[in-house]
Amino acid sequence: MIPTIDERLASIVRSLSEVIVPHLPEDASLAREQAGLIIGHVQIIRSQIDDAPAYEQAERDDAAALGQALLAEFPADRYGAAAMDALKQAITLTTSDVRESRRAINTAIEAVIQAISAGTCAASKSRLSSIILDFEDTRTQKDRKWFAPFGFDTI
Amino acid sequence: MSTGLTEMETPLRAILDRRAANRDLPPYRAALRHEIAAVLQGFFDATLPGATVADVKRVGGGASKEQFFFALTHEGETQRYLLRMDPRKAITETDRARESLLLDLMQGIVPVPRPAWTDNEARYFPQPAAIMHVVRGVTKPSVSAQKVSGLGTWLGPDYRDRLKDQFLDHLIAIHGFDWRGRPLPGFEVPDADAKQAARWTLNYWREIWRIDEGETRPIFALAEQWLLANLPDCAELVLTHGDYRTGNYLFDEDTAEITALLDWELARIGDYHEDLAWVLMQVFGTFDENRTFRASDLFEREEFIRAYEQRSGRTVNRKTLHFYDVLSSFKCYIICAANGSAAARSQHNHQDVLLTFLAAAAPMFADDLVRLLRQGEPA
Repeated sequence: MIPTIDERLASIVRSLSEVIVPHLPEDASLAREQAGLIIGHVQIIRSQIDDAPAYEQAERDDAAALGQALLAEFPADRYGAAAMDALKQAITLTTSDVRESRRAINTAIEAVIQAISAGTCAASKSRLSSIILDFEDTRTQKDRKWFAPFGFDTI
Repeated sequence: MSTGLTEMETPLRAILDRRAANRDLPPYRAALRHEIAAVLQGFFDATLPGATVADVKRVGGGASKEQFFFALTHEGETQRYLLRMDPRKAITETDRARESLLLDLMQGIVPVPRPAWTDNEARYFPQPAAIMHVVRGVTKPSVSAQKVSGLGTWLGPDYRDRLKDQFLDHLIAIHGFDWRGRPLPGFEVPDADAKQAARWTLNYWREIWRIDEGETRPIFALAEQWLLANLPDCAELVLTHGDYRTGNYLFDEDTAEITALLDWELARIGDYHEDLAWVLMQVFGTFDENRTFRASDLFEREEFIRAYEQRSGRTVNRKTLHFYDVLSSFKCYIICAANGSAAARSQHNHQDVLLTFLAAAAPMFADDLVRLLRQGEPA
């Protein structure tokens, strides 16, 4: 690919930084702030763009692994057949759209969480919480690391 | 689009209905200075004949309002004012009339900006707007000391020592406001049962999440169920500020006097623990080189809780505080992952690029939820 996406993004950053921003009036505070954010955004996109498909696939796969763990722990015949069946279908959904797949799995997991939380079995609720926290502990660390270049996080 | 979470303050219900109804409006464009100058002049031609508007300047920063300084000359006198105008969709959905009413009532109790005019129905301005008298001060030191990391404002040891007592005293004064003796028109009181204060605030955030079509994730869904199952009783209903933290007050850099408490739009009658937990949010604080956390760069956590108890005479219930700690992270997750993203997605804000930038903070709040739910309630 000539020019590469990285070359194109790099040229956008340079034009903004060295041509456009210096010509903005000193008191155009909003425009200056927004230009700075655009430059920062594009630089982060440059650093992440090659890894983004793998990151999104891993998000989807982590959601599916959590879903499988819930299916194994909470059999459909005891914990709401509808929610469990929907989760099973979401995990096995055949689609090339990883975002859509992730959304479908997470929505199904939410329904399972709601169904078990509405029940009266304290042990099930405790086990549910433990499984979700274990999986999300790992997932949120990956997410924090991915978004660390934005500079908000103390990770 | 109402989703049936109707139990909340009626005015807030109306605000959320407005947000839902506005979802399909066309894109919003940042106002240009000459356009704002013309709108302001039109407003004053109708409300203060003979007044002239000049020197309109946009104020940077802020993700929830478009703000402009301007000079108004009337009968030979010139004064500077601040116009605060809602974009079509902001990172939070609020009401200019409620804010102006509170600012009027808090005069003389705590330092607040003085409202001059309000156009809550957008009769003259393109969006609801309020015009405030200008207050001197800064939200952070203009020559900032080295900040270690994080999102919070770094004040440094000198300002920290000089601001912390004022910060706490003003919060206690807000919580001590006699809202029974001086009723707040348009504010409703959650006193039907002891859990109503917590339920109303939780429902507000759950509903705005649904209106903005936040994309769920397991920890968020688990936290929502945990919050619903653990609503605390409210021991004492007070006026809460709703967004009390460093960054939301102005101070004089020479005297270190707090000159104005800002951003009252989330104020309501509720549980004081809600404000305390918000103050204690890690995201608004700082960590120094020893990894010591200071809430709003002013207090260590236990120091703040003890000082609040000693000076207010109230007891901080640790279980209630834990509930509001979880709720604070839940709110921040919604603000970043749903509200800001929805405003940017619909092109209804003047700072789309800022809102999508801020959305990157959402994993921090997801991680806070994991930490807090794993930690569990204090004994």
